[in-house]
Amino acid sequence: MARLDPMSRHAAALSAVLAAAVLPPATAGEFSASVRSHGLARQTAATGPLAQAHALYGGIAFEQPSEGAAQLQMQGSTQWAGLQWHGDVLAQARWPAGGPGSTQVSVLEAYAAGRLGAWEWTAGRKVVGWDVGYGFRPNDLVQQEQRRTLVSQPLQGRPVLMAEQFGAESAWSLVAVNPTTGRDATGAGESALAARWYQRLGSADAYAFARWGRRTQGSVGAAWSWVASDALELHASLRHLARHDTWQDASASAGALASASPWRALTAGAAQQLLLGGTWTSERQVSVLLEAWHDGTAPSRGQWKRWANRNAALQHLGAVGAPALAVAANLAWQTQAFSASPSLHRQNLFARLAWTTGPWESALDMLYHPADGGRLLTASLAWKGDRLRLEGGLRASAGPGTAVVRQLPVQRQAFVQAVWVLD
Amino acid sequence: MSHALTRIPAYLLGLVVAALAGPALAQDADALLRNADRYRTGADNLQVDTLVQAYASDGTLDKERRYTVFAQSDRRTLVLMQSTAEQGQKVLMLGDDFWLLMPSSQRPLRITPMQKLLGDASTGDIATMRWSGDYSATLVGLEPCADATVPTGAAPSTQATLPTSCYHLQLQATRKGVTYQRIELWLGQQRHEPVRAQLYVQSDKLAKQALFEVDPSLSSVSAMVLIDQLGKQKQTRIRYLARKERTVPVEWLNPMFLARSPVLE
Repeated sequence: MARLDPMSRHAAALSAVLAAAVLPPATAGEFSASVRSHGLARQTAATGPLAQAHALYGGIAFEQPSEGAAQLQMQGSTQWAGLQWHGDVLAQARWPAGGPGSTQVSVLEAYAAGRLGAWEWTAGRKVVGWDVGYGFRPNDLVQQEQRRTLVSQPLQGRPVLMAEQFGAESAWSLVAVNPTTGRDATGAGESALAARWYQRLGSADAYAFARWGRRTQGSVGAAWSWVASDALELHASLRHLARHDTWQDASASAGALASASPWRALTAGAAQQLLLGGTWTSERQVSVLLEAWHDGTAPSRGQWKRWANRNAALQHLGAVGAPALAVAANLAWQTQAFSASPSLHRQNLFARLAWTTGPWESALDMLYHPADGGRLLTASLAWKGDRLRLEGGLRASAGPGTAVVRQLPVQRQAFVQAVWVLD
Repeated sequence: MSHALTRIPAYLLGLVVAALAGPALAQDADALLRNADRYRTGADNLQVDTLVQAYASDGTLDKERRYTVFAQSDRRTLVLMQSTAEQGQKVLMLGDDFWLLMPSSQRPLRITPMQKLLGDASTGDIATMRWSGDYSATLVGLEPCADATVPTGAAPSTQATLPTSCYHLQLQATRKGVTYQRIELWLGQQRHEPVRAQLYVQSDKLAKQALFEVDPSLSSVSAMVLIDQLGKQKQTRIRYLARKERTVPVEWLNPMFLARSPVLE
């Protein structure tokens, strides 16, 4: 029995109508479909708080299992009643290792778009991607897409009401995102108003951004992308936030055992985010991407030090005979720190080397944290045929044993994926 | 002795070519280039439906791709990928500036001229409909049209209708965003139709050889065959299926508008 994402229930009905409308033998519109399947193997960590928790009390917390998945994605667009109608639906089945399989149908996009005077409008669920970076996008104010995922997955759009105006070399976008969600929603689910201004300046694109979140209030940003030469592109993105969502450890002391998770979601004060980067591409289709970013919403060195001290203190409690269940639960709750921000550390360096030759695409990348020497290394290889794309890759944490990435619950991952584009 | 004899025909041929070339070399190189451009354009604002066929090294058809190219005045071009495998992808070229739009990301991505070169037939090959304005032309001379370096079997229809003698033009890029820095171009002496070309990238490496097929009415180029010179001599045939005059709305040439995934037909 397929489960439908509750947020998508109304949009699903609209999408089904749209999909039916654009399926052959409809004469107008576009329709496409693809089938994808992937296998993802995860090796859990032997160190870190979750591993320590399981050592003390097996099965205390959920572990991300290896999995297999199959997906069917169908999308269609058509013109009807003077409007553009678009639907994009994903049906998927997942088989986690050691657990029962599940099926789910999600509406990725379902919207209507039209023109009112000089303004283009869009209403419905839509992917709205902003900003100029690769590894980190501080000004991706609407979609807030998770970056650097190992297995590429289709994005699910956000509910939006959007108005846009376009000149020859400029554009305005005004968006109300998640207009119906409540005050408690956080992150990309927060109800907010966002605006983007774009201006082409010869070989550069300049952007200005503003956002007003229902709880996080105001933020402003700017971004810039410049083709400096035949082979070199440079980009930058800057954002100032009046407030931001995060998680904070409210435990009384490093060694205090809590009876419920001491981690509290809270709205913290001002922060800045800055990205600088560039891509160089050779005639031989070799490209090098370098990016450095500061994410002021990520935990500071001091916060990670206190986090490590609490891990050590909890481990000590376990060693001296404190109740294993209580210690294990407190250790497992420590993993909440990994979700505090899109970045684990405030300072980040990212390098990616990619090479395309014929149908083959290979890439190596590394995310490096100067604060503790931690590294996330990824290698991937893809073959692209006419309709079939096959890819596989590996990701592993590296660096000193005390580095935050070495404490992540999953230390090594491998995947294979096949994507078949249908008529 | 035999060596001297073989030199005689070449010497005589050289005299004949020189005699014919005398008045011809007075031709204005830029005017020749504009004449050649007319075989691929025909109007300032065009919609061109294109079929690209890429062949494997053994000559078998590897893949086919369909494109719609909106070539507008002032070097503004929008390329829509129409094949199922690339559905929704777009490349916008405004003068020396380029954007790539992928349907999965919904945001325009600035790309460099070097990134525009990617692929068997680069976006530049598909989108470029004229040389004049982008290149300064120099007339090298009058030469035989045939090229011994072209592999046997390449573009047979071109070889069958090959003119005997050609103007050889050397084109040097005058703008930074063009796909090729230098082009050696041969035009038919009588009609000035493009016959073949050698395409050189920024480092002055020969990247591709191009052979042009002219339709039976001799009024337009119906196809261009590209032979890769950097890799395995793979061939790609770009067929111009239909051309019609069309001016697109100005917002279609704004990368932010294209990110909305509008229906552009």
